[in-house]
Amino acid sequence: MKRIVTAAIGLLFLLNLAGQFPAAAQEDAIAKTTLKAGDVAPDFTLLSDKWEQVKLSDFRGKKNVILAFYVLAFTGG
Amino acid sequence: MAKLEDSDTVVLGISIDSPAANAAFAKQIGVTFPLLSDMNKKVLTAYQILKPYDVKGDKFEWAQRTTIVVDKEGKIQHVEQGDSAVDPNSAVSVCTGLHKKHAS
Repeated sequence: MKRIVTAAIGLLFLLNLAGQFPAAAQEDAIAKTTLKAGDVAPDFTLLSDKWEQVKLSDFRGKKNVILAFYVLAFTGG
Repeated sequence: MAKLEDSDTVVLGISIDSPAANAAFAKQIGVTFPLLSDMNKKVLTAYQILKPYDVKGDKFEWAQRTTIVVDKEGKIQHVEQGDSAVDPNSAVSVCTGLHKKHAS
């Protein structure tokens, strides 16, 4: 029984490794922000398309905010 | 987008385009959420989204497409980068989850 458990743990470990490496290699290819879940989002104030100032902290306590960073509007990319 | 509003969430688009270019873009694709101009790249820098490129010695920086979900406490809940960030469904599901958490 003990041997089966050890083998099972070993197998899980191997599967885990196999799953992780390709993902890690892929992530290296893109700029990786070090920000992660749980971090405080850096505050900012930016001009909107209507020339209004929009401040991230204005939404605090009111709304969840999705920040969608996109590249070059007119390329559609 | 109605799906997002249901979950008590606003969307902010951020790019390095000028407000005038963003206004034209908003009109063109009919977005209802604000498009913000980060012309001096201060937010892109703060969020570490700029990626330096070197194409045959011609160096430039480009923003990486990224979706970040910030909760009501100002904390980051979800970070998605790269091609998968084009698909907003995972960000939507995070927000729906947050909404449920707050509602209960």
